[in-house]
Amino acid sequence: MTEGALSGLRVIDLTHYIAGPYCTKLMAGFGAEVIKVELPGRGDMTRSMGPFYKAEAGIERSIPFLWLNTGKKSITLNIKSSKGREILKDIIREADVLVENFSPSFLPSLNLDYETLRELNPRLVMTSISNFGQTGPYRNYEAEEIVEYALSGGMYLTGDPAKAPLNAGPAVTQYTAGLNAYVGTLMALFRRGNNGMGAHVDVSIQESALDNIEISLVNYLHLGVLAKRTNDRHSMVPWELYPCSDGEVAVISAPIRYWHRAAEVLDEPALFDKKYRHCMDRRKYREEYEALLKKCLKKYRKKELSRAGQEKKLAFGYLADFDDVLESPQLRSRKFFEEVTHPVTGSHRYCGAPYKMSKTPWRHARAPLLGEHNFTVYGKMLGLSMEELEQLKKEGVI
Amino acid sequence: MDRFGGAPLKGVFIVDLTNYWAGPHAVRIMADFGAEVVKVEYVKRLCVLRGAKKDNKAYDKHPMWHQVNRNRYSVTLDLKEDRDREAFKDLIRRADVVVDNFRGGFLDSIGLGYNDLVKIKPDLIMVSMSAFGDTGPYRSYSGVGGSIEAVSGIQSLTGYEKDGKRLRIREMDVLAGVAGACAIMTALMHRQRTGEGQKVDLSQMEAATHTLIGEHLLEYVMNGSVDLPKANRHRRFAPHGCYRCKDDDKWVAVAVRSDAEWQRFCDVLEHPELKDDRRFADRASRLRNHGLLDELIEKWTIRHTHIDVMQKLQDAGIPAGAVLNVAEISEDPHLKERGFFLPDPDGGARLFPGCPFRMSGWSGEVRRRGPDLGEHNRYVFMELLGRSEGEVPEVKEEEIGTGYDPE
Repeated sequence: MTEGALSGLRVIDLTHYIAGPYCTKLMAGFGAEVIKVELPGRGDMTRSMGPFYKAEAGIERSIPFLWLNTGKKSITLNIKSSKGREILKDIIREADVLVENFSPSFLPSLNLDYETLRELNPRLVMTSISNFGQTGPYRNYEAEEIVEYALSGGMYLTGDPAKAPLNAGPAVTQYTAGLNAYVGTLMALFRRGNNGMGAHVDVSIQESALDNIEISLVNYLHLGVLAKRTNDRHSMVPWELYPCSDGEVAVISAPIRYWHRAAEVLDEPALFDKKYRHCMDRRKYREEYEALLKKCLKKYRKKELSRAGQEKKLAFGYLADFDDVLESPQLRSRKFFEEVTHPVTGSHRYCGAPYKMSKTPWRHARAPLLGEHNFTVYGKMLGLSMEELEQLKKEGVI
Repeated sequence: MDRFGGAPLKGVFIVDLTNYWAGPHAVRIMADFGAEVVKVEYVKRLCVLRGAKKDNKAYDKHPMWHQVNRNRYSVTLDLKEDRDREAFKDLIRRADVVVDNFRGGFLDSIGLGYNDLVKIKPDLIMVSMSAFGDTGPYRSYSGVGGSIEAVSGIQSLTGYEKDGKRLRIREMDVLAGVAGACAIMTALMHRQRTGEGQKVDLSQMEAATHTLIGEHLLEYVMNGSVDLPKANRHRRFAPHGCYRCKDDDKWVAVAVRSDAEWQRFCDVLEHPELKDDRRFADRASRLRNHGLLDELIEKWTIRHTHIDVMQKLQDAGIPAGAVLNVAEISEDPHLKERGFFLPDPDGGARLFPGCPFRMSGWSGEVRRRGPDLGEHNRYVFMELLGRSEGEVPEVKEEEIGTGYDPE
């Protein structure tokens, strides 16, 4: 098999929950050897959180875990024990990357801070993902997704101004941080490729997610404009979801210059009157324009109208449910979903690569069972004997 | 320069053909970390971030342009004109990476696709960030955040009621943009090791789907349902919500994850008797009686500022965050102490939002604001490409068209 883009890199994965595991999932998918270090007996806390396959709890049945850890190896190790710590150091000596998302004081409390690890392995790239970064007054604050969404400005802008700000359904801040941690780690590796020196990468989930509102933020910093939530009312008209005969259709006047082409799709000539020709005119007459549009949309079906708009080069769409997504002709044609088989849960369709590279493949693989690679890693990589492994197991180290 | 060696992407040269927000954001991350970037602009139709007005060079003055397109040079080229195509090809000859977000197939149709460019630069990396990908029945479809968020199923997961209106979250373009940065770095790593360039076909729809809802799609495939939207509540934690505080439109987000946190929460709430209230004794009962809890909590939060509530709860080790608006973020003491905001390279008091991560020896920088239209025509043609002064393109005001004018 052809090698992945990151093949040859060894990553020690001390992460749990979402942001860290998503970062290392991408590394594994693009070819790195990722060794996930888990707590003996329990593993990554996500293994116990669910939702579970067929709603039946079990550490090999957690759906987020199965998704977030594809392509990795799993070893068990209690890094709080002194023996465990020494073993971890042995592994880190042989590694290119260490990714962790503990609270900022945890690894230093075990004498596993970056400066110490750098002495062991000057080429190491250590990436620390945390709620608020390694420094600053909030560094030890507790957070969950809704708290990060609030403190990174996304939440204030989501939802209806007449109601409370609305949390995002998906864990948008943590996933944004996972992506950014991947970029930062690779940049540090790229620099190492030129100068031979490792680095510490500090990823704050809050700061990562602030990029999501960079335009609103710079408009405040430079113009004093205070962005508010709008119930999805966009500055351009039309540019949102509207009800149609069988659901919601995204009637979007983008590219703005092509909007008049919608006249061939929407059977309401008044919408294309000279009065509404420029986007600034449509904005000016928003209420009456949207009223006309909504009335006209009642006779269309979401998929047909979306396709008709796209055929006129307009960025129409429709509100898809998950059946629509799984059956999307586009995703099928591009083989976006891949069948992954797992010894406990069986064979299911997972999303495959996030982007397609012409010369280096994505690794199709499942998540590991807890401690599945203890023998491979401790035996082959560190040269420990079966007896030593048994002893470590008895002592609760692995 | 310190012991770690400064900007990680120093020496990487990127040709930026992107427009709107997603593509420029991908390139912004590269530029913030040291890549040299030349942005190719089309005078007859400016990027939407340059706004709708031409008077007094309004297109050079938008903060959103200055932010998203910072740290790059601007050259104006018409890729359909022979003379400009030659200059473009010369740029490609010295490029490491070219990034675009045209419709799938557009560059091929004008003879500047990957297969054409790789002939003049064999180890070129090309990252194409079209809305739906370079292949498949939607390849020539266009998409903006609003269409992609809907069609990908992402929007189906956020709303106030299970059967009510579905709402958008922040922010599709940025997610696709960071995924674009991932793609560029993945390809650069491979090239550093092997010398081989390649084409990356990034569908913004697929990237956003992978990133945000991979776990939820798998849940649907495995179990036949997904337990979203849930408004501000949570599947496992209770109380979990957004509560009104003192003053207009001020709110706090709170997540109580365990019985131990609940016990501490009751003390902060000044209702220690609730600790023994059977209606809230464990997670299951708190989830059942969430409506009642919400009322009790808001009676307390409404008497305090959102910052006070956050601090009181955080002091007790409970996850809580004030729902900050952009004004509050710009004054946030934590972000200030971390030096998140970056100074304007042109001087003055204005600050720019900083970078999503930092590393030893480099925290990102704003070397220059998003450039004026054609600001670097001279630099690019004469310094980079070694052309004569007479070949430098001129920006003619009467030829300028914005992205907002009807065709």
